[in-house]
Amino acid sequence: MTQTVAETNAGTDAGTGAGTNAGGSGQSPAERRLAIEEAAARVITDPENSRTAARLLAGLIADEAAEHGVRTFSESVAATHAAGLVAERTAAFVAAHAAELDALITAETAFEYFGLRTVYDRYLLRHPETRKVLERPQHFFLRVACGLSETVAEAAELYGLMASLSYLPSSPTLFNSGARRPQLSSCFLLDSPRDELEAIYERYGQVARLSKYAGGIGVSWTRVRSRGSLIRGTNGHSNGIVPWLRTLDSSVAAVNQGGRRKGAACVYLETWHADVEEFLELRDNTGEDARRTHNLNLANWVPDEFMRRVEADAEWSLFDPKQVPHLTDLYGAAFDEAYRAAEAEGMAVRRIPARTLYGRMMRTLAQTGNGWMTFKDAANRTSNQTARPENVIHLSNLCTEILEVTSDAETAVCNLGSVNLAAHLAPSPEGDGLDWARLRRTVRTAVRFLDRTIDLGFYPTPEAEAANRRWRPIGLGVMGLADVFFALRLPFDSPGALELSTRIAEEIALAAYGTSADLAAERGRHPSYGDTRAAGGVLHPDHYGAARSAEWDALRAKIAETGLRNSLMIAIAPTATIASIAGCYECIEPQVSNVFKRETLSGEFLQVNRYLVRDLQARGLWTPQVRDAIKRADGSVQDIPEVPADLKALYRTAWELPQKALIDLAAARTPYIDQSQSLNLFMATPTIGKLSSMYAYAWKSGLKTTYYLRSRPATRIAQTTVAQPAAASAADPDAVACSLENPEYCDACQ
Amino acid sequence: MLLDPGMDLTLRPMRYPDFYERYRAAIRNTWTVEEVDLHSDLADLAKMTPQERHLINRLVAFFATGDSIVANNLVLNLYQHVNAPEARLYLSRQLFEEAVHVQFYLTLLDTYLPDHDERAKAFAAVEHIPSIRDKAEFCFRWIDSLGGLRRLESQDDRRAFLLNLICFAACIEGLFFYGAFAYVYWFRSRGLLGGLATGTNWVFRDESMHMEFAFSVVDTVRAEEPELFDDKLGAQVTRMVEEAVAAELAFAADLCGEGRPGMSVEQMRRYLEYVADQRLARLGLPARYGTANPFAFMELQDVQELANFFERRVSAYQVAVEGNVTFDESF
Repeated sequence: MTQTVAETNAGTDAGTGAGTNAGGSGQSPAERRLAIEEAAARVITDPENSRTAARLLAGLIADEAAEHGVRTFSESVAATHAAGLVAERTAAFVAAHAAELDALITAETAFEYFGLRTVYDRYLLRHPETRKVLERPQHFFLRVACGLSETVAEAAELYGLMASLSYLPSSPTLFNSGARRPQLSSCFLLDSPRDELEAIYERYGQVARLSKYAGGIGVSWTRVRSRGSLIRGTNGHSNGIVPWLRTLDSSVAAVNQGGRRKGAACVYLETWHADVEEFLELRDNTGEDARRTHNLNLANWVPDEFMRRVEADAEWSLFDPKQVPHLTDLYGAAFDEAYRAAEAEGMAVRRIPARTLYGRMMRTLAQTGNGWMTFKDAANRTSNQTARPENVIHLSNLCTEILEVTSDAETAVCNLGSVNLAAHLAPSPEGDGLDWARLRRTVRTAVRFLDRTIDLGFYPTPEAEAANRRWRPIGLGVMGLADVFFALRLPFDSPGALELSTRIAEEIALAAYGTSADLAAERGRHPSYGDTRAAGGVLHPDHYGAARSAEWDALRAKIAETGLRNSLMIAIAPTATIASIAGCYECIEPQVSNVFKRETLSGEFLQVNRYLVRDLQARGLWTPQVRDAIKRADGSVQDIPEVPADLKALYRTAWELPQKALIDLAAARTPYIDQSQSLNLFMATPTIGKLSSMYAYAWKSGLKTTYYLRSRPATRIAQTTVAQPAAASAADPDAVACSLENPEYCDACQ
Repeated sequence: MLLDPGMDLTLRPMRYPDFYERYRAAIRNTWTVEEVDLHSDLADLAKMTPQERHLINRLVAFFATGDSIVANNLVLNLYQHVNAPEARLYLSRQLFEEAVHVQFYLTLLDTYLPDHDERAKAFAAVEHIPSIRDKAEFCFRWIDSLGGLRRLESQDDRRAFLLNLICFAACIEGLFFYGAFAYVYWFRSRGLLGGLATGTNWVFRDESMHMEFAFSVVDTVRAEEPELFDDKLGAQVTRMVEEAVAAELAFAADLCGEGRPGMSVEQMRRYLEYVADQRLARLGLPARYGTANPFAFMELQDVQELANFFERRVSAYQVAVEGNVTFDESF
């Protein structure tokens, strides 16, 4: 059975209701808020309540905007401009086309409550003093579109995609498009500071400036000398990288991103750096606090040579970068050779069994979820940007989906946006699942606007601007893959899911590359096009033998003529916030639970798998008993006798799916992902054995990066609102051990 | 038997492996106060109404001493009389967790109450705020209920001990604290005091385990000495729970005053009665109130957490991990 998302969550008219005070007449604002919260809290009994809550909230928002006289779009832009929030250019554009633009506001957005709540709490522009909103959700979408448009037709095109939740730009663009300081980019990647005091402090400054404007930061620290290294200027010895990272940690915490969310950064370190073991402990919550960084994320930048030695159970050499400064600028065979040569010359600080270090890495993943495994050689080998040996990718970003070259002079930047796949399901059950023609149309529009952000964006540092104007990379991703699988009844580990997921990736790549070629013909190639592999006739999928169709041949021929406007185009970002606006599952992720709460800055939100509820309702099984049983089972339906086997298979959670299937899906789409993907892996109770097997498989499968390892708490809160099992059966000590409160150590039911 | 007097030191063969597993599971969930960011709450506090400020100040004043009282009973009574080394391992761990909670609430008060006089007053709340003093006196009465009993020889001794154990699990950790947590989650349901809520999540998780440990001690004693659980004991437990509900309700009246939308004395009464029934059910006793839970936001506490890492720290990571590097395990 196939249904579009528009059908499954239709009905919420958010933001177009003309300030009707929906359901709130005679109630105080506090009482109206309470009614909204109560409806939202009852989503667990019926997902329909989510729409009721959204409808009530939409009325509240409209009334709040009306307090400042805002009813139409042009009124909202006039108000936000008068409040000093919107740029002259946008205000003038809107004023010049007020009637036409006001007429565009007809769309009704099918918000879920959580989506609208997120928009209201975080995205709508507010009056600086009263803190009242100065725009409705539809005004917000159109304002973002106008900020990126030169004509009304362009604005209408992007607005249409956003209002139907078919495509959403990333949060910085949603926050800042049309604003005075339009910092539109999501991610910044900074090369490691050079191994000298001034360079390190200069890097802190860059990180702070980028962080201030809501960018996520990736920064390498591989070039900085390790503990015990001689400092010539003073004839003392270095304390290694940890004290520097402590300072970075404090700096990141201090700079909050435009007052909207805390700064966030990820530090990358190559696996041969002699401080790697201390690096892996930075997030531990035990040990000496002076050697901990609670705000930094950590990632391992792992060369293939290390993984080969882990497999062979060989020794691994750790070096002081001061002794081997060239290693960080090499990859592949050149790195292997230089690394072995350094070993042969006896330059290693220390040697340890490769498996000992690998085991430490796995332990860090299990204990902190951090210490992401990202693979240096896979990242560089097929990148369009690394055709010349001096152009090397030294790290990924905060979410491990961006892979771009960096140097002292260039800070890599990426502008992101994601297609909501759930909004592209084919309208009828015939055909093959998605409306492919519409998907391609969406991609073409998305690529044009992502390209536009490069020119319109405000860059907090000259290094970022230099890199972005030269390489013009963009990162188009997806969200709602799990919705598509649910709607088409494809379990994540089915052959049908693998085939569909790979085709989606290929279709998107084809449309994106074609559009970039068109843009190159219209506006010119990106300035460094001559330095790319594409200029030599090799596209990303060619490295995998995955572009052999006539369509790829035609595209290759076209690009040979036109070149490309963008050096990189595809990156699958985590989409945490925009997926909740769109009301779909995050990026390419499976669901973590059929019932879960989402913690955000605006409090906790409950979500329930509406596909499951619909299926259970259709079979008359959505009863309070089944509902409680699902809650008791932490959102799992596997051990609930009432749930039929086909639904159990479809509605497995991330904890219940084989992770091999997630890796296989990711590997199969890799040829069409010219940057990378934020791939979380899930393991309820990780062990070193399972993790080491899993990450070795991920590496062998050719994945460029992985993201968090998600695990579950060892103990849990006793449930308050689910009837407790009676004590009668608990008198037996074995039954106590099997209590649902202690799922972690119960083998009895396995 | 578990309550036989003495100092059993023998871990092998282990008589109560469940207690030992609870000890190990608790260690896997270690957290530290330094991981909680309370300063983000100050902006919320600044914009609260006087009634809300009053509620918060009373609440933190209760927190200031609550966990210390539990720790004292643990040392004075529980550790002494639960005679199995594996159970004492768990209690040692629980004592550590109570210390972390005390430190958390110390840090909370230091952060929330920058004024030194106000701070000192909050710490002294057990002495001068009647609604808090009454709850503390309820606790002290039960701490002292065993008198100087050094050995649980008779059935009456053992029943007295069971009442003390049940009081701290069902009434103090399982009702006073559950009531207090509800205020915190009510604030959070309105997007307020996220720092306090984060720490409370972890305290809540710990307290849940303490309560469940105590109940499993009760279950074990029931299996070993069913004759202890007569009607009289059941009636005493029910009366004790009633007293606890009344004390907590007086506290609620002090906190809520005329009430706020979504949080009133009447709603709190229903919530407490609902929770009390849950405790009685867990002990195999009939429900006393038959009231439904009025707080929809408490439903949120029952389901899995999916923190957006940009915003809050994920609290779900385990601490101890086992095994060796291999390449052939299934995943």
